[in-house]
Amino acid sequence: MQQMEFDTKWTMVVDVDKCTGCGACMVSCQAENNIAPMKEGSNKLKTLTWMLVYELNNGKEFPNREVAYLPRPCMQCGHPACVPVCPVVATTKDEEGGIVSQIYPRCIGCRYCMAACPYHARYFGWLDPVWPGGMDKALSPSTSTRPRGVVEKCNFCHSRLLDARQRARAEGMDPNKLPDGWYQPACLESCPTGAISFGDAKNPEHKVHELIKNPNAFRILESIGMEPQVYYISRRDWVREQSDNVAPGSHAENHAAEGKH
Amino acid sequence: MGIDRRTFIQLVTGGVVGSLFTPVIWKSLDDASIWSQNWPWIPRLKYGTITEQASVAKFGAAPCAEIVKSVGGSPYLTRGNAENEMSKGGVDPVSASGPQLMYSLSRVNGPMKKTAEGKYESISWEEAEKVLSEKLAAVKGKKGKLAVVSGDTTGTATEVLSGFAAGMGAECYLMPSEEQGAAVALSSMGGKGQIGYDLENSDFVLFVGADAMDSWGSVVRNQCVYSESRPTGEEIKTTYIYAGPFQNSTAAAADRWVPVAPGTGAIFCLGLAYHMLKAGASSSASDFADFKTLVMSRFSPDKVEKATGVAGTEMAAIAKRIMKSSAPVVVAGSEFAQGAGAADVIAASAVNMLLGRINKEGGMKILPELPKAVEAAAGRSELAAKDFVGYLAGIASGKVAAPAVMMSYEANPIYALPQNTALAQAVEKSGFLVSFSTYMDETASEADLIMPNPTCYERFEDAQTPYGVGAAMLAASAPVAEPLYNSKPTVDVVLGVASVLGIDLGYESADEVYQAKAEKAGADWDSLIEGAAYVSDSTESGSIKFAASVLSKAVTMPKGGEIALAPYSKLIIGTPTVAIPPLNVVAISKFELMGKDLMVQVNSKTAKKLGVSEGSKVKLAGAGGECAVRIHINEGVMNDVIAAPLGFGHTAWDAYSSGKGENISKLLTVGTESGTGISVWTSSFVSIA
Repeated sequence: MQQMEFDTKWTMVVDVDKCTGCGACMVSCQAENNIAPMKEGSNKLKTLTWMLVYELNNGKEFPNREVAYLPRPCMQCGHPACVPVCPVVATTKDEEGGIVSQIYPRCIGCRYCMAACPYHARYFGWLDPVWPGGMDKALSPSTSTRPRGVVEKCNFCHSRLLDARQRARAEGMDPNKLPDGWYQPACLESCPTGAISFGDAKNPEHKVHELIKNPNAFRILESIGMEPQVYYISRRDWVREQSDNVAPGSHAENHAAEGKH
Repeated sequence: MGIDRRTFIQLVTGGVVGSLFTPVIWKSLDDASIWSQNWPWIPRLKYGTITEQASVAKFGAAPCAEIVKSVGGSPYLTRGNAENEMSKGGVDPVSASGPQLMYSLSRVNGPMKKTAEGKYESISWEEAEKVLSEKLAAVKGKKGKLAVVSGDTTGTATEVLSGFAAGMGAECYLMPSEEQGAAVALSSMGGKGQIGYDLENSDFVLFVGADAMDSWGSVVRNQCVYSESRPTGEEIKTTYIYAGPFQNSTAAAADRWVPVAPGTGAIFCLGLAYHMLKAGASSSASDFADFKTLVMSRFSPDKVEKATGVAGTEMAAIAKRIMKSSAPVVVAGSEFAQGAGAADVIAASAVNMLLGRINKEGGMKILPELPKAVEAAAGRSELAAKDFVGYLAGIASGKVAAPAVMMSYEANPIYALPQNTALAQAVEKSGFLVSFSTYMDETASEADLIMPNPTCYERFEDAQTPYGVGAAMLAASAPVAEPLYNSKPTVDVVLGVASVLGIDLGYESADEVYQAKAEKAGADWDSLIEGAAYVSDSTESGSIKFAASVLSKAVTMPKGGEIALAPYSKLIIGTPTVAIPPLNVVAISKFELMGKDLMVQVNSKTAKKLGVSEGSKVKLAGAGGECAVRIHINEGVMNDVIAAPLGFGHTAWDAYSSGKGENISKLLTVGTESGTGISVWTSSFVSIA
């Protein structure tokens, strides 16, 4: 597989140790991206959670149990598995910054991309989205609404990137060299513990440029070579060890070790 | 003429060619693809000018300073206001849903009164105010005939209600919160003002019971302070330890979790004090000798281990670690932000006193109350110390007469009170129940008169010194949107009714009250509504004592041998006042709600003891009622403890929250704390069937 490389690489770094699992990021994500409220939320096969906070534990019995929370947006992979399988080119990775797009009007709902995504970051709209009783007045102007029957996913709040570029143009700056903090997704803005950092990993002036080199930084399932643009940081060994499921000594483990920063 | 082979081939060929040219097939396929994804209603995005305005959201359990984004005047998104000291940036998951709560299906559209048939009919504000004035005129000056309860502990609106109640010769209460125990604790220790904790300047924070990341104090501020002490990718500046029965959000974020049995926070703190005293810790407080005698005689390591489950060696190690720190602080509270009484706070204060951490940077602070805007109102701590649960327990038992009129503001007592079945009935015994609720909640659904308050986005609002913060402060906001429905700010309603009844509260409108509050506090009103908070750096002078005589009576060793209930409160599930917001439904864990079944959590050892397994349906029975639940095995729960989330089991509201799970408040057992006499409900035990 050929990896798409750009001069800008929008990258998210999540400090797992600081996430308290409060869920504010999940709520803000829905508000920003016009995900309709659902009356039944415990059938997780039908819910639409572009940002989903997983609960991890160290597998030990009381009193040695430890818990961590891991927020999971779309990984915006460098080698996205979803893109080549789409029969109608409804998802692409061809824009400066490396965000994997999802073009809803073009999607035919075949769900090949969902089957291909190893991170379960893609969601199919099984139900009609409904904002009852005037709740549509709180719709965000940033994101189009989707009917049922198409696949949707996190796009790092792409319209905010467009807004930031517009601002840069207006101020006579290079829209592809945005200052740190100009472009931030909704989940980051709402996170009360500052667990989410975001920026251009290729820009030395952006904080994430250094964070991804932290010895405790890792990516999920590095062994399968998707090259995600979402990194995690944890001081806890057991959290980092759960990031991949390769057999010890296997080819995949060696590949993962080579790919690690 | 017969059909020969040639004719047949011609017919088939003609049919195939014809069908390729006819649009019917293609049109049918096209229509089928459209119909199969047919959307009966397509919402249209609202376009217009995007504006941002600072606001103080009161949707969450503590005020949250945020920036509200609106399009064409309609709020649609919020983010934290990092410039405001009250919550320092970030939003909680209820406030994050603020715009959607403004357009909630549960909003009350206008004033309503209950008819003889038990249905509600819309009435005008004039009629509603007339009905209320008449009912209140009949009870004015008659002791015990009117009761007022507020769920807003920080707003000046509560001062207005308190002042009005005083003018009526009635009592004003607050809904249960951490503040009640802290107010009684400080008064028992001989102090005045309000207890706070300077977490941002501490290098070692021990939370005992207090779930600072989800329910204790100003949660968003706690989270932001925690975040500042551990910048991503850098060294940790402050060590956090959580002591409690369940691995909640605070335990998950802390550097260490120390399992401590539910309701034994005071014993744990006094167990630490034992080791500190043994190491030579001392104090100049007048009753130090009594305190030392009490601790050394009744809280030896073996007794403390038996009660809390924490080994003596571990307690000694924690005590040593605290004493080694340069700016430690110990914070005690309930695991679910209510019902702990005063003993936990007194015991934690005693540890802070032994460490010499009272009114020190990074320590426990005794904060002044901001000057009152309404002279007739009770002071903040005086109001907080009143025992609403005790009052209702008296009504339930027939010892106290039910009031002729009860007014409920920003509160949902029928849903949120402990030992819910009995105490909700006590509320319903009121002769005339008035709800000022914004939403059709459980209390509004039983009320005789509903006078809806607009949401905090549609009215002036303020917030003073949320419980737990380390400095006295004030924040305020102006409306960010036009009122959506025919609602009226409760402060304006009360001022109007007071005027009719000849009670002079000194103001004619809500914004006048808020501006006067700011002026008296020394804050600049314009700066407040632009998003800045006024912060005072003063603390109360004067020393406090250990309240050894109160501790001696209030702290008793649990009997043990039973299954203890450890309720917990998570903002994603809502608050005692606001039910599950629509956008939060999908964010609730399947280990807490599965379909309509509430999941409670036990570890595998307890499960084995109880003979239950993952998914088992059981019935929990407490002193106050029963709940049908399912079991989830979670090794983050102590032995012989069942952890259960509050916030479910609503019977009113809307489809996003109603009929989901059980209201665990039913199982809470209300008792009385010896020494202070206030109601407590952190030690509840359950049986399983």
